[in-house]
Amino acid sequence: MNLRVNGRETALDVDSTKTLLDVLRGDLFLTGTKRGCDSGECGACTVLLNGQAVHSCLVLAAELDGHDVVTIEGLSKDPKDLHPLQKAFIEKGAVQCGFCTPGVIMTAKALLDKNPDPTEEEVRYGISGNLCRCTGYSKIVDAILAAGEEIRMKKQ
Amino acid sequence: MTTTLEVPKYATVGKSVHRIDALEKVTGRAIYGDDMRFPDSLYGKVLRSPHAHAKIKRIDTSEAEKLPGVKAVVTGADAPFRGGEAIRDQPFLAVGKVRFAGEAVAAVAAETEEIAERAIELIKVEYEPLPAVFDVVEALKPTAPLVHEDLHTYAHMPIVNPVPNTNICAKFEFNQGDVEKGFRQADCVFEETFTFPSGHHCQIEPFMAIAQAEVSGRITIWVPNDAPHRLRKDLADAMGVPFERLRVITPPYMGGGFGGKGGLKVEMVCIALAMRTEYRPVKIVLTREETFTSSLMRHSAVVTVKTGVKKDGTIVASQAKLLYNTGAYAEKGPTVTLHGCESGVGPYRIPNVKVEGYTVYTNRPVAGALRGYGLPQSSFAHESLIDVIAAKLGIDPVEFRLKNALEEGSINPTRGDVLASVGLKECLLKAAKEIEWGKPRPPNRGVGIACEYKGTKTPSGSAAFVKVEQDGSVSVITSAVEVGQGIKTILAQITSEELGVPIERITVTSPDTDYTPFDASTTASRATFHMGNAVRFAARDAKEQILNLAAPILGANPQEVEAIDGEIRVKGGNRKITIGQAIKSRYRAGLTILGRGSYYPEVQGTMFSARSIFYMYGAQAVDLEVDPETGKIRIVKIAAAHDVGKAINPMACEGQIEGGVVQGIGTAIFEEVKYDAKGMMLNPNFRDYRIPTASDAPEVAPIMVEAAHDEGPFGAKGIGEMTLVSTPTAVANAIYNATGIRIKELPVTQEKFFDLMKGRSA
Repeated sequence: MNLRVNGRETALDVDSTKTLLDVLRGDLFLTGTKRGCDSGECGACTVLLNGQAVHSCLVLAAELDGHDVVTIEGLSKDPKDLHPLQKAFIEKGAVQCGFCTPGVIMTAKALLDKNPDPTEEEVRYGISGNLCRCTGYSKIVDAILAAGEEIRMKKQ
Repeated sequence: MTTTLEVPKYATVGKSVHRIDALEKVTGRAIYGDDMRFPDSLYGKVLRSPHAHAKIKRIDTSEAEKLPGVKAVVTGADAPFRGGEAIRDQPFLAVGKVRFAGEAVAAVAAETEEIAERAIELIKVEYEPLPAVFDVVEALKPTAPLVHEDLHTYAHMPIVNPVPNTNICAKFEFNQGDVEKGFRQADCVFEETFTFPSGHHCQIEPFMAIAQAEVSGRITIWVPNDAPHRLRKDLADAMGVPFERLRVITPPYMGGGFGGKGGLKVEMVCIALAMRTEYRPVKIVLTREETFTSSLMRHSAVVTVKTGVKKDGTIVASQAKLLYNTGAYAEKGPTVTLHGCESGVGPYRIPNVKVEGYTVYTNRPVAGALRGYGLPQSSFAHESLIDVIAAKLGIDPVEFRLKNALEEGSINPTRGDVLASVGLKECLLKAAKEIEWGKPRPPNRGVGIACEYKGTKTPSGSAAFVKVEQDGSVSVITSAVEVGQGIKTILAQITSEELGVPIERITVTSPDTDYTPFDASTTASRATFHMGNAVRFAARDAKEQILNLAAPILGANPQEVEAIDGEIRVKGGNRKITIGQAIKSRYRAGLTILGRGSYYPEVQGTMFSARSIFYMYGAQAVDLEVDPETGKIRIVKIAAAHDVGKAINPMACEGQIEGGVVQGIGTAIFEEVKYDAKGMMLNPNFRDYRIPTASDAPEVAPIMVEAAHDEGPFGAKGIGEMTLVSTPTAVANAIYNATGIRIKELPVTQEKFFDLMKGRSA
């Protein structure tokens, strides 16, 4: 099968029982996507599938021939030129243990792609499928709102 | 009381510098345990007990062993070791009987995870169920089934005194003054019993370990454990081997700890397997369900408090009895209970005090440290009772607390030591002000407050090296564990400040017991204080060596030069040299400047029996709204004021406070572990064990109070644990304020609260 991963066509030979998360972590060494519960409840494995945020632990890889996947590693190619979300997460102190961070950032990316000017409530609702046990969410919400603002400024 | 005047000017300390690990984390490049992989690694899976208490009559592993791809199968007989820091009571895998549902009974190492899973299903175990005991009060009755028949044979810490032929794992008592006399002097005496739920840390990273044996008999284990040196000691004690036979390496990052990732968890089974795989490494990653059932819980507790007061609100005596359910094994239960006892009557000036605490074995999963270390339980009791008393006497709850609150020079009510660096009153005042205490509120809206103090484990040591290389770059060699709290950044800031080197030039290691020096643990909110001191002294030692090196090059005395911004400068002059140039000009062929530092508080007594080297203080105030129709509790805002001594990194402190408070909200209104009648956990997943989401989290106003500590690095104390301690009680007190309903049992889920409201109107 062929999968477009972080902008690159990738030929894969996958077992029918494997999830997208298994393939990303096990076959492609993209370990930035985390396994927290393996049942779609914690959101740590969130990636973009054709632009939509999905729990990669709930998606069977074999069904994805010809699809497009973006993981946290694909969000910016150059650490000196980070995505506004990544920059905002650093600047607002939205990162603690960091285990939920990739998933939250990918969910937020999908959210801002759809709605670059969300209210705080929309952000909170939008990331309510991503559990974080360290931060209490305040700084994550601040960071997503700040990133939205930067994205809007850039577009103008 | 605080250090608002004469604040020295620091370059990086006190500034919210960005975390030094943030770039790795936002790009997905930070490596956690499960991201580590060895080419020849085997996968381990564990067979767990379906019974809470049962005799193991027979284990047949023959079918599993025959399965192609299986490399090793182990049972308790293959690893005849018992571990445990407080009491050495826990077998690596069950031997003879199982004591909780979820206990490891057998394990398999295989070429793939799938084979290991299949092999586990082929193991046959014959059990004979035994009567089980789950409730802490039941477990203390003389007729209760014994969880440990051989309690008298176990090795234990000197301060822990298990009572043989009972389920009493440990017993503690604090006495000051004469509590009976105190009650006689009181105008009114109040007594209530409160029940606190168990709960889980819910670190988003599941537990894991990789272990590998070497032909020499040495074993290396890679594990996200919050105390690698303590782990090495615990393993060495359990296995009866000297330290050099064990090496503990902490993966670069850990996905959350909150007290859960210490002691022996998955380590035991992983090592048992690794000893039988012909030197191939074995990796075990627990499922979310196993993480719930078979790692660690918070102690559920029943706490009775009795307090005597004068009519004017002066507390004259207080007595507390704490019963902590530690589950099947002691783990850190005894010292969790001890800390619960130490803060058992609250942060008040009380001349007559008696606190008794019991750590009690039951057939529940193992309980141990969870953020707050025994305090949320005892605090819920006495801070609720304080509210009851204030209401009865018609005194405002904030005023009542301020009237009795500990202050600079007060006597610690339980230990009797004189307290210094006490920011409690400022915390109370600031939290109350922030929540607009006293402002009239609409019906069904209420405010509540709670406060607390907590010590750290004392005495305990930390050591560090600061290594300066030829080009002036610096590494901090430390065993402090980055669990997410930001300790790497804090230590880099302290080094930067002390050594005069920009933070960008500093790296901080992750622990490896072969290379990084001793640290007692990254627990007890002790790392900034203890390791901060050790690192500061190591940086100072390195700086002195560098100043001595550079001064003659600059034609000056060492006293006439200073280190600033990576350079050595002659004070008040223009002559300067970079640290790199200084080292190179003296040691052309290369050399390292190695600064050494260690910190060990000089106090009387052994570990946990001594007074704490520092105490943290905090107060939290809650504004909430209840819906009488549905029982829904909406928390509008929480103001959390915490005395941190000195905020080395204010943004990191805010993050600790915001995170702890939201965990505390979970404890207050959502989180409850449920079991069936046989002791099987019913909700070991995030769907049924609900933790707060972003939509549940209210506005949190973090407030830092800085009552500097003489011995702390730049005055700093600690913060992590305190942030959760007062939240559940402040919520419960606010519910009382809004509705007149006194909460005596947590959590107050919507369902339970609906029933309480209904009961009231009926």
